[in-house]
Amino acid sequence: MDARVIKKKLGLKDRYTAMTRGLHWDTTYQPMEEVFPYDSYEGIKIHDWDKWEDPFRLTMDAYWKYQGEKDRKLYAVIDAFAQNNGQLGISDARYVNALKLFIQGVTPLEYYAHRGYAHVGRQFTGAGARVASQLQAIDELRHYQTETHAISHYNKYFNGMHNTSHWNENIWYLSVPKSFFEDAYTGGPFEFLTAISFSFEYLLTNLLFVPFMSGAAHNGDISTVTFGFSAQSDESRHMTLGIECIKFMLEQDPDNVPIVQRWMDKWFWRGYRLLTLVAMMQDYMLPKRVMSWKEAWEMYAESNGGALFKDLARYGIREPKGWKDACAGKDHISHQAWATFYQYGHAAAFHTWLPEQSEMNWLSEKYPDTFDRYYKGRFDHWAEVQKSDGRWFNQTLPMLCQVCQVPMMFTEATDPTQIDFHETTYHGMKHHFCSVHCKGIFEDEPKKYVQAWIPVHQIYQGSCYPDDINPASPGDSPVREVLRYYGVNPGEDNGDFSTSPDRSNFAKWRGDKRKAGESS
Amino acid sequence: MNALVTDVKLRSLGPYPLHQADSEECFYGNRLIYTSWENHLMYAAPFCLPLPPTLPFGALVRVVLPEIYGEHPEFEQIDWERTQWFNSNQRFRPDFGKSLEHHGLTHKSLIRFRTPALEGIKRSTGPGRQAF
Repeated sequence: MDARVIKKKLGLKDRYTAMTRGLHWDTTYQPMEEVFPYDSYEGIKIHDWDKWEDPFRLTMDAYWKYQGEKDRKLYAVIDAFAQNNGQLGISDARYVNALKLFIQGVTPLEYYAHRGYAHVGRQFTGAGARVASQLQAIDELRHYQTETHAISHYNKYFNGMHNTSHWNENIWYLSVPKSFFEDAYTGGPFEFLTAISFSFEYLLTNLLFVPFMSGAAHNGDISTVTFGFSAQSDESRHMTLGIECIKFMLEQDPDNVPIVQRWMDKWFWRGYRLLTLVAMMQDYMLPKRVMSWKEAWEMYAESNGGALFKDLARYGIREPKGWKDACAGKDHISHQAWATFYQYGHAAAFHTWLPEQSEMNWLSEKYPDTFDRYYKGRFDHWAEVQKSDGRWFNQTLPMLCQVCQVPMMFTEATDPTQIDFHETTYHGMKHHFCSVHCKGIFEDEPKKYVQAWIPVHQIYQGSCYPDDINPASPGDSPVREVLRYYGVNPGEDNGDFSTSPDRSNFAKWRGDKRKAGESS
Repeated sequence: MNALVTDVKLRSLGPYPLHQADSEECFYGNRLIYTSWENHLMYAAPFCLPLPPTLPFGALVRVVLPEIYGEHPEFEQIDWERTQWFNSNQRFRPDFGKSLEHHGLTHKSLIRFRTPALEGIKRSTGPGRQAF
C-alpha cells in the first residue's frame, strides 16, 4: 500500500492562490451581476477577471506578522519620544502647526480611505482585486490609528489638536480634503481606485508624504518620521495596486479608455487642488525648510509623471487635461494659500505668521520669477500694518469654488494679478469655479456637485452656530459664534503665532528669553 | 457662457434625485452675492455676502463695501462715479436708488468692480506690478 505523501506546507504562491482564487465561487442561487452590481454600472467592461495581476501576493498570516513587527518598532519609538520629552527637541513651536494641519486634514483621509477600500473590497467581482482592496482597507485603518497615536503626544502640550474629527466635518479649509474623499468614495469602485489608488497614491503621494515626513525629520520630530517609515512599505503596495488597476481596465476593453481618461483628468486635478495645502505647508510652515514646493513638484510630478504618461500612451492615454496648468501653478499656489490663511488666521484651527526676513529671502531665491514681483508686497504691507495698527484679519467670508471648495484665490494662468473666474448655470442656479478644470468636473456630473456642503454657504444657512444662536440674526460677530460651534478657542488655537500660548509655553519650557515675534 | 448643462455622464445604481444644497430659500430672505474688487489681491479671494434682494445699490456701495474693503489703503480714494461695474462679465451702470433685484443680481451673482485709477498698491522695487 502506497502511503500518500501529504505536502506539509504550501508555498507562498500556492497559499496566496488558495486564499484568493480558492475562496472565490460563482453564485448559483442569485445571478452574479446582482450579487456584484457595482463593478458594471460605471460602464467599465471586464471580460476576464483572471487577467488581473495581483500587485502584491500578500497572505493574511504574512500580513499580521509583518505589520505586527512594524507596529512594535513604531510604538517603541513613540514611547521613547514621550518619555524623553521629544517635543522639546523640535526646531521651533511653529513647526507643530504643520502637524496640526496633518491631524486635522490628512489623518481623517486615512479613515475615509479605509471605508472606501472596505466597500470596494466587497464589491469587485474579481477575487484578486477584492483581497488587495481588503488588505489596503486594513492598512488605512492602521494608518489612522498610528498617526493619531504619534501626534497625540503633541496634543498634551500644544493647542489646536483636541477636536479634530468635529473640525474635519465643519471647518472651511478642511472641507477641501473631506469633499475630495467623499467625491471619490461616492463614485463606483473603478472610479474610486482611479481616484485614490492611481491619481492620489501613485501619481501624487510623494508630494503629500515626502514634504510632511522629511519636514518632520528636518525639524526634529522623530516620532512622526518613524510613523512615515512604518507607512512607507504599505504605500509602495498601494501604488502598485493603483497602476495595476489602470492597466487592467485599459487592457480589458478599448471602450474603457475614454472613461479612464476622464477619471484621470478629474482626479489629477482634484488631487492637485488638494495639494495646495501641502504646498503652503512646505514653503511657509516649516521653520527648517526641506525644499520648495516648486522643487518638489519638478522632482516628483514633472519628471516622474512625465515618464508615466509616456508609458501609458500605448493604451491611448494622454497626460491629464490640467497638467500644464498645474505645472504653471508651481510658482504661485503656495504664496496664494499662505496669504489666504494669514488673513483668515482667526477662523482656522492653527497659527499663522508673517515669514521672517531670512524666510522672505529664501522665498525670493526659490521663486525668482514670482515672489518679489507678485507676493512680497502683500507681506510687507501686512508687516507695516501689524506694527502700526495691530495684526490684520479679514472679517468677511470668502467665495469658494463649488468643486474643490478652496477659496477663489487662484489667478489666471497668463496674469497673476487677476482672479480666475468660471461659472455655469444648472437648473436656474449659478455655480462658480476656480478653474476651467473644476468647471469641467462639475459639468460632467452637475447633479452630484450641486449637493456640495460649501462651508461658507452653510454658515449663512445657519448650520454652524451653537443652539442658542438665531441663524437669521447671529449678532454682532457671526465668526465668534461659528468658532464657538467649532470648539475652536480664539487666540489659543488660532490667531497669530507671535501672541499664542504655544509660542510662550515653548519658550518657557526651553528657557528661551527671546521676546514674542523673534525667531528661534 | 451659460449653456444648458446635462447629466449625461452621471451614472448611478438607482434614482438620483436633484438636491440643490444652496437654494435661495435657505438664506432667511437674503440671497448670496459675491463681490470682487478687481486688482486688489490684499483680499485673497472675492467675498460671499448674504444680502436682501431689496437692498438699494447705493447702500451696497455706501454701507456694505466700506465695511468689507475699507482697510485697503486705496479704498478712500475710490471715485464711485468712474467705477466700472460688472455682473460677472456683463458691464452694467448701477442706479444707486434701485435695488439689487432691479439690477438683475440674482442669487449667487458675482459683482466685479474695477476702479481705473487705482490698480492695487504699486511698489517701485519690482519690475512688474505689485497688485494687492
